[in-house]
Amino acid sequence: MSLLTSLARLRALDEGIAQPVATVRHCHLSERPMVFIPLKLSGEAAAPLAAMLGTDRDAPRLLVVTQPRNRDLRFAWAAELAGVLLPYVESFLNDTETVERRNADPYERALDAPQLIVPNLAGVAFTRLLGRSTRFRRPDGPYPVPDVVPLLGRWLTYFGERAAYPGSSLMTAATEELGRHWASGQSGLEDANLAALTAWITTGPSDEAEDPLVWPPAGPATDPGFDAEVLAPAIESEKPERITEALRTQLEPTWRLMWQAIDLLAALPEGPSVAQRWEHDRGSFSAMAVHIAEGAPPQPRRDGAITAAAKLARMERAQAAYDVQRAYDDPLVMAEYRLTGEAFAGEVAETVPDNTEGEGRSRKLRPLVVIKTDDPVRLPPGASLGTPQRRGQGAELVDAGQGLVTIKITKGMGRGKTPAPGAVPEVGERVCYTSLTDDFQGSPALPDAEATPWTHGGPPQEYVPDDEDAQEEWS
Amino acid sequence: MSGLKREGDPVHRLEALRGTTPQQPHDARAIAALAANPGCTRRALMDGAGIDKDAAARHLGFPAPFGQSPFAITRGNMFEALVKADGCAELLRMLRELLDLPVAEVAYHDVENVGAHLRHAHTRSLIDRAAAEGHDAGTLYDHPLLSLEIAGHTAYLEPDVVAFQLGGRFHIVEIKSFAVIDGQADPAAVAAAARQAAVYVLALRTLLEELGHDPLKVSHDVVLVCPENFANRPAATLVDVRKQLAVLRRQLTRMTTLDRLLEALPDGLNFDLLPGEDGRPTRPVAELADALRRTTARYAPDCLSACDLCFFCRDEARQEGASDLLGRQVRDELGGVASVAEALGLADGTRDPAEGQEEIARLLRNAERLRRECLT
Amino acid sequence: MSDRLDDLERRIDELRAAVRTAMRARDGGGARALRAELRSAERAWDALVTGEPPKTKERPPGLVTVREQVHQGLRLLGASAQPRLVVAVSEAFFGGTIRSGQLTSLRRDEERSFRSSPFGRPYYLCAALTDRLSPARGLLALSAWPLERRVVGPLSPRVDFLTAAIAVAGQSMEPPADGERAERLLARMARNIPGAGESVLGPPDPVRVIEAARAELRVHADRDTRDRAELAERAAAQLDDVTRLFGAATLSTIKKEKAK
Repeated sequence: MSLLTSLARLRALDEGIAQPVATVRHCHLSERPMVFIPLKLSGEAAAPLAAMLGTDRDAPRLLVVTQPRNRDLRFAWAAELAGVLLPYVESFLNDTETVERRNADPYERALDAPQLIVPNLAGVAFTRLLGRSTRFRRPDGPYPVPDVVPLLGRWLTYFGERAAYPGSSLMTAATEELGRHWASGQSGLEDANLAALTAWITTGPSDEAEDPLVWPPAGPATDPGFDAEVLAPAIESEKPERITEALRTQLEPTWRLMWQAIDLLAALPEGPSVAQRWEHDRGSFSAMAVHIAEGAPPQPRRDGAITAAAKLARMERAQAAYDVQRAYDDPLVMAEYRLTGEAFAGEVAETVPDNTEGEGRSRKLRPLVVIKTDDPVRLPPGASLGTPQRRGQGAELVDAGQGLVTIKITKGMGRGKTPAPGAVPEVGERVCYTSLTDDFQGSPALPDAEATPWTHGGPPQEYVPDDEDAQEEWS
Repeated sequence: MSGLKREGDPVHRLEALRGTTPQQPHDARAIAALAANPGCTRRALMDGAGIDKDAAARHLGFPAPFGQSPFAITRGNMFEALVKADGCAELLRMLRELLDLPVAEVAYHDVENVGAHLRHAHTRSLIDRAAAEGHDAGTLYDHPLLSLEIAGHTAYLEPDVVAFQLGGRFHIVEIKSFAVIDGQADPAAVAAAARQAAVYVLALRTLLEELGHDPLKVSHDVVLVCPENFANRPAATLVDVRKQLAVLRRQLTRMTTLDRLLEALPDGLNFDLLPGEDGRPTRPVAELADALRRTTARYAPDCLSACDLCFFCRDEARQEGASDLLGRQVRDELGGVASVAEALGLADGTRDPAEGQEEIARLLRNAERLRRECLT
Repeated sequence: MSDRLDDLERRIDELRAAVRTAMRARDGGGARALRAELRSAERAWDALVTGEPPKTKERPPGLVTVREQVHQGLRLLGASAQPRLVVAVSEAFFGGTIRSGQLTSLRRDEERSFRSSPFGRPYYLCAALTDRLSPARGLLALSAWPLERRVVGPLSPRVDFLTAAIAVAGQSMEPPADGERAERLLARMARNIPGAGESVLGPPDPVRVIEAARAELRVHADRDTRDRAELAERAAAQLDDVTRLFGAATLSTIKKEKAK
């Protein structure tokens, strides 16, 4: 959290209403998101209890394990869940575009992709666990399960992993996305309560949000009081309808909150880079679908050393790119970098558009721009700069001091003897420059998996799920 | 830890603080929680006096937001029974695999066989014999009862199992029913288990010391037993609790030096709940709230998962407009600006920075300027 | 409730005697009628003891009582055991239907029955005895066993577990058994015995389990036998009929020890 966000929180606390920390929406919002609210049985690692889900806010589906300790009913529930989620996922596979690649075969990319929205990070973690507990099961042999269950497990695992990927919108947690756009007047810990956070954004803080009788927890954990006073007697009664109705009361309030959260996010204009990140998501989704169609085995329990390192490196790059893109998309995010001196903004005071450097053949066009700024610039001469106003452009800091910064444009002003029209800002124009740039070092040089050094476990055995995976007890 | 008894006076003061309220015995979880917010005077005094904070919070109209689901309790009991079934067959397997326990080492003592009132004495004599005789002693001690002095009062503690004969050292075995999946468990749950196990380690070391043995015969590695993956099959891991032990020791030492905190209290102040015949508090709520407010709390959002009084203290922090409400990160970022109004005043420029606040004031003013610029 | 139990027990005793008389008199029809009555009285006793309303529909006549199921289980195991293991054995090999809640007061009820008419039954479900000669918590034993088998020294829980594993492995080679339940029970026991096949997938090999359990038993046998013999001797010397079966109260044992 930055000081800017801290200040927003203070302001929210003082004014009794959440304050914006973004001026545009930084996540993709599907036209047909799948809202998914899972509940689990307390005390168990991954025993599902119920889920409310669907793409239509007026028609939620409620799936219930009417005897949560019964293993067969749990898998039957998983099969029911598959019956809703898999058709949704697969509905995005038909419409594709062909993407040409340099040095590789063209591939098909889905025009749109599924989006799962869960209430909170615990919901993401539970989805991943559900995936882990179902993807190795088999429709044959001992402990058979319906054949859609392992397939569901692989998709849930995939969505769970994508949720950790910076900037991905394939699976998001409502509290996380709201928290990225608004600062409440409570702590981050309390922001994990969807009812409380939504109240801060819409009407102001409400003690009711923490009362489980008014707003049941958004899952996956249930309210212990509900467990003791309602659910346990209902399970004891062995009446499925009673259990179902009890769980409906715990899920319906959250269902309404989820759509409220979606509406709140939808009301923000989409950031310019969102489409680009969603394109990556679509590509990733299509690749996963191909992977499954080609009969590849389920995701392993643990990644090998090289895979893990490569994944980590990819995530770090994605995080850096996401940070930069948000700053370029959103002046309020850029303001954080202006506060720390890594960016500055102001009015153009003077320009020398036809300034050149060097002599003869190596003579280069280097337009100079002087900017008047109130920002504390902490960048050394020679620092390379980019600007949200002209994204292709590169510049270099020449000199800064007494509220004036001189930069020279080094890239993206045309190849002629004079700059292309519009390439150099006019006097009086408001501009922003920053040392944040989106061009990162390439991927780290990692050996192929076959060449994993012995210090890192040696080359991994090719992963083949064995009987032990399939027969793993699930009690 | 026995210093208090000799001095006498602080114990007396603590008893006066408690008044007619019966003392709330500490269990390991409560003692472990002492280490969660060591800077909180209110908590230190209430725990020192042995006041039931849960009852106090309820009476004040701020019941704690915790509770354990009956499903979780049942599951926990079932798992413990499974680990201990058939002479701790599962536990022996794990200790053999994890710590190379020799096959011959299987001797099992159920301390509880002697009846509740003798458990502590029996535990003492069994541990004494084990520490003295070494290799011929028992291997597993089930249902032991240890004790620890907390601010002049004896707290009785029930570790799940104490194992001996692992390289001649005692190991605390802690059985928890949260799952370890593909080698990973919920870090918060592991941390809580480690804090709790550290209390047992300390209690057992104290016992050995009292009996004239080397306290370091108790290992700082505890054996944590959890279900693995999605089955009920137990798996064991060694957890090093040295850090938790250090924090705990420090906090307990602080509690024995409560006299300084007690001296600072106004005369006649007490936290008596004045329980009626049915045990329910009868003290006027406003009076009790007032008494509590005369001690300093150090509220942080982390309290919401650790202390029964959290909602009371949060409410107080709200009324005071304390920036603590927003969490440690915000507080650290504000570097010593404790109140919301003060921070906003500095940001708006309506308040002049006090000495030492110049830098944070400049940053806040800048931040305010930037937010205004971007939002208008 | 105990009044009704006493009445029932008296009735059961009378009926047993009547059955014997009828048999001696070669009155086949009368004996059959009396047996039916005896069974229903026993069922009523069981129901009362376990606090379960008699579910005549769910329990067709002739179904083995809880008491008898426990007896069967213990006899197979051949060693003191926790109710959980007894239930598992009963389910795996005798089509048992015990719910663990039915066992909580079993030992107490047996003791009551024994006190009201000592040795009135062919067997009693009784306690295993600790080194203080008190009843060991949560262990069931059979009155027919010699004291040496019913006392529990420090190594005995392990020895009893291994003995039980050998019995379960042996039984699992005999039909009829609920194959899946028996397999699961054996697998659960086998994985806690070194060398019994813990790393092998699929059902464990009973022969291997028996060999592995015997190998570990040899490690403990001498000391355990010595410990037990000593305890059994003490029990025989210090305890009366009731306490020999159901254990001495802890406090009195200690007083006795202190008095010595």
